[in-house]
Amino acid sequence: MTKKIRNFSYVLLIVMVLFSACAGKQATTVAPVEEATQETAAETAEAPAAEPTDAPEVQEPVTIEWWTVNSEEYTEQVQRDMAAAFEATHPNIKVNITVLPGDGFSEKMTTALGAGEGAPDVAFFWDSNWFPEALDLRPFIERDNFDTSMYIDGFWKTRSLWGDVVVGLPLGVGAQFVLYNKDVFDEMGVAYPSADWTTEEYLAIAAQLHDSDQGRWGSDRPRRPFRALWFNYGPVVRLYSEDSMTVEGYLNSPESVTAYEWAWDLVDTGATPTPADIEVLGTEGTGPVDLFMAGRLAMATLNQGHMLNALDAGVNFGIVPEPKVAGNEGFVNAWSLTSSIWKGTEHPDEAWAFLSWWAGPEGQRYLMENGNLFPSISAVLNEYEGADEEYAQAFFKVLELTQVSEWRNAHPCNSTVLRAVGDVWDKIMFGEIERDQIKAELDAIVPAAQDALDECRERLGG
Amino acid sequence: MSVNWQNMSFRDRREALQGYLSISPWVIGFLLFTLGPVLVSVYFSLTQWTITSPAEWVGLHNYIRMFTNDPLFWQALKVTGNFVLISVPLKLIFGVALSLLLNLKVRGMNVYRTIFYIPAVISGVAVSLMWIWLLQPDTGVINTLLALVGIKGPGWFWDPQWALFSVALMSVWSVGGSAIIYLAGLQNIPPHLYEAARIDGAGAWQRFWRITIPLLTPTLFFQLLVEMIESFKVFTQAFVITKGGPLKATYFYLFYFYEEAFQNFNMGYASALAVVLMVIIMTATIILNHTSKHWVYYAAEREEAK
Amino acid sequence: MTSTEIKTPFLSNQTRRWLGQGLTYFIMTTLALLFMIPLMWMLSTALKGRWEIMAWPPQWIPTTMHWENFAEAFSRYPLGRFMLNSGFLVIANIVGQLLAVPLIAYGFARLRFPGKNILFVIVLGTMMIPGHVKLIPLYTLYHRLGMIDTYWPLILPAFFGNPFFIFLMVQYMKTIPRDLDEAAYIDGAGTWTILYKIILPLCKPPLTIIIVYTFLWTWNEFLHPLIYLNTFDSFPIQLGLSMFKGRYSVEWNLFMAATLVSILPILILYFLVQRQLIGGIASVGLKG
Repeated sequence: MTKKIRNFSYVLLIVMVLFSACAGKQATTVAPVEEATQETAAETAEAPAAEPTDAPEVQEPVTIEWWTVNSEEYTEQVQRDMAAAFEATHPNIKVNITVLPGDGFSEKMTTALGAGEGAPDVAFFWDSNWFPEALDLRPFIERDNFDTSMYIDGFWKTRSLWGDVVVGLPLGVGAQFVLYNKDVFDEMGVAYPSADWTTEEYLAIAAQLHDSDQGRWGSDRPRRPFRALWFNYGPVVRLYSEDSMTVEGYLNSPESVTAYEWAWDLVDTGATPTPADIEVLGTEGTGPVDLFMAGRLAMATLNQGHMLNALDAGVNFGIVPEPKVAGNEGFVNAWSLTSSIWKGTEHPDEAWAFLSWWAGPEGQRYLMENGNLFPSISAVLNEYEGADEEYAQAFFKVLELTQVSEWRNAHPCNSTVLRAVGDVWDKIMFGEIERDQIKAELDAIVPAAQDALDECRERLGG
Repeated sequence: MSVNWQNMSFRDRREALQGYLSISPWVIGFLLFTLGPVLVSVYFSLTQWTITSPAEWVGLHNYIRMFTNDPLFWQALKVTGNFVLISVPLKLIFGVALSLLLNLKVRGMNVYRTIFYIPAVISGVAVSLMWIWLLQPDTGVINTLLALVGIKGPGWFWDPQWALFSVALMSVWSVGGSAIIYLAGLQNIPPHLYEAARIDGAGAWQRFWRITIPLLTPTLFFQLLVEMIESFKVFTQAFVITKGGPLKATYFYLFYFYEEAFQNFNMGYASALAVVLMVIIMTATIILNHTSKHWVYYAAEREEAK
Repeated sequence: MTSTEIKTPFLSNQTRRWLGQGLTYFIMTTLALLFMIPLMWMLSTALKGRWEIMAWPPQWIPTTMHWENFAEAFSRYPLGRFMLNSGFLVIANIVGQLLAVPLIAYGFARLRFPGKNILFVIVLGTMMIPGHVKLIPLYTLYHRLGMIDTYWPLILPAFFGNPFFIFLMVQYMKTIPRDLDEAAYIDGAGTWTILYKIILPLCKPPLTIIIVYTFLWTWNEFLHPLIYLNTFDSFPIQLGLSMFKGRYSVEWNLFMAATLVSILPILILYFLVQRQLIGGIASVGLKG
């Protein structure tokens, strides 16, 4: 009997919790769960009473959807505050902010863009495959005389222009470079690297700094055959021909072989962590930042976000560009986030008002001063509070190099082709082939890579 | 069950109507949330679609390419098939073994049951990270322990020979979830059967094979199905730990699908991959269901057969 | 604990019984420790400083215990609210499944109607369609229904029954002798009375499985909430946890601390209700 009562009360409890939650959804009590519906209701109804700008004579504000990510450069809170700052000066626009975890943003965007509906008015279009869905900004730029020359030229070219179309504005800058631990160099009596060092010097220094007793490696290793590899570690290589027709003679060119041989030599020094060592805590695509901060990597190819980490961790570090093959120009793998308006937006004017503010001087300055953004606008970047520091100067120098990503938008097939190269890369990283086998291995994968390229080119319509 | 509506009695018709009524939620759900999306997927599988441009009809092209000119498809299929064959038996055996332990009547068993359940509640990424740490070949806990007993541990995730097995090993760690299910099944076996067997002189081993296992078969069957489908779906581990490597040793089917759909934006081809996977799993499920007649013990059917 | 007082017949001798128990404890404890190693590492990581995680030589016990990591994790994001959100989703999903599954399964297991077999094969066939496959069509559907940024897409499907569970329930209902139905029918009980008064009370084992799995799957769900929810305060716990992963580095200590806390509610609940979950079944079994 008591058991029955007990069981019944369990059921009752569950039903009660459920109903109270459901009721919460309809009424406007302060339950955590009803927030979502309340926000959507706000879209169609008038602005919530909490809004300070709700003056009676002002016309009903237009709500735009803005999707962004949580990042070290702009945290969730900073962006929320920034949106509020925008709303304060633009009473006719309400920004509905969605802050997503970085590792889910692409899936969400791809889904919404693929559905062709329910995509945000304003968002990062950081994948070049999304560009066809971005609104062409040229009419707005012309109408408002929006000064695009304020953006650092390299980023404007690589991140905003897509053919003739302006697909977005570049927000913030980032780049890859070599962070080195000065304390380790001092301890081992090795001179700091110079900005124009060579790939040969890199290998030699890595070997000198290696000390397995302290669990320390001389340098990290590339985890995948990135674009930069062919530019800096082989003398300017392309995966396939400029017209995207041929792999033969590009992927397996002498220059490409050189890049792979460099990677082989690096593994051969034994001064670099094995894949197993470097995967530990590096799994989220963040690179071996934790190893570097713990003083277990004397040199590592990292980025400006890690530079801020190093400042935070109090590491005595220096910055140099990635090394290059002797006698060649040096390149940098740099980026900015293309911030765009979705083609399907119902409020293009309001979306532009927000976008041009957010990715313009006001927004980028706000994110620099309240967050950790390095703006893509030279004039604002120069106001960076640590602009005179050695690390910032070195970072700015890196940004002036030619960007390898200029190549990217014209070659959307490179990821497909790279997949075919993956096995050779693995074999080198695991030390499974000899140095003189590299050329033969690359020759052997040309047919598969060519197939991949043909398939991709056909799919993208020649 | 070839029933003709006209020939049915009033009682039969009423029963049939009640039958439709009772399954109607599933029918509605199926039409809304499953059939629609599946048909859309089938349609896209016959097109070339990069998401941002309109889908272009290509007929069976994607399927023809998949079966005649796509080594990656066969690699993904092979890896996933092997994984199903390795991980499903491992999980079944360890799950049942653990549930037998948890079924012992000792004081404090609640605590043990909770401890073994913990791994099942920790989700994807955190688990993957822990295992990278544990299975690190030189400094990882597992190889350190093995070294103590004089065994040189393998390279685990970073050895093409061991990578797939390592992923299977990870999934064994979370058998606590299915052990609870087996435990429920075990507790449901009427004790009087054991007593009767003991009186007949059956030993512990015989009781296990003659009573426990047969009466557990409905649970076993369900778990077999769940584990099989879960194994076909394996993705997170490849995504977080191995990126499909080394040398494509963990290039799981869904990982390939994901690369095509969300990284290469090859949605048409990805849809074709998905359709093929659906067909494979559907076939496997239906075959498994047919075999169940021969080894799954159903009390009611026995009685009906009498 | 009444279970130890129950006479376990194969251990007649007091010493043997004592030895057997000792051995059991030994095996269980060893296994439990093995199972706990990964958790110990999580805890150890959660108590370390931001950049101490990869320190050499590896440390199991941090030199300074950073207990404040837990508070820091909670002050960074409203984790408590995220967990409540997840809890709501879990309960709603469980209720949905419990309402729908027995009803549907009853139709398949007990009632006769034309087309039943073919429909059941369809149920089997749809048991698994990879979540990613349905994303785009479903997003379109929910958007047209005006349900983006609400909990409906995360709850609604449960009320139409999960094919896994329907299958499980059908299998189980088939094991219940039909004599019971017939007897009740002769006593004048209608179809629904038979389901809810006779059959369902005997179905505790599959209902347990449904609850356990629905809980786990809903609590650990990442993809669907990510796709359908926009409002930060409505996020469930898994989305909240991944906020600790930045674009350039992960705050491992906070991430692990938050992960550990996020599994606590499940474990506490599980510890408290396991007698009902597992023990309750046994009492039903006795009747069979």
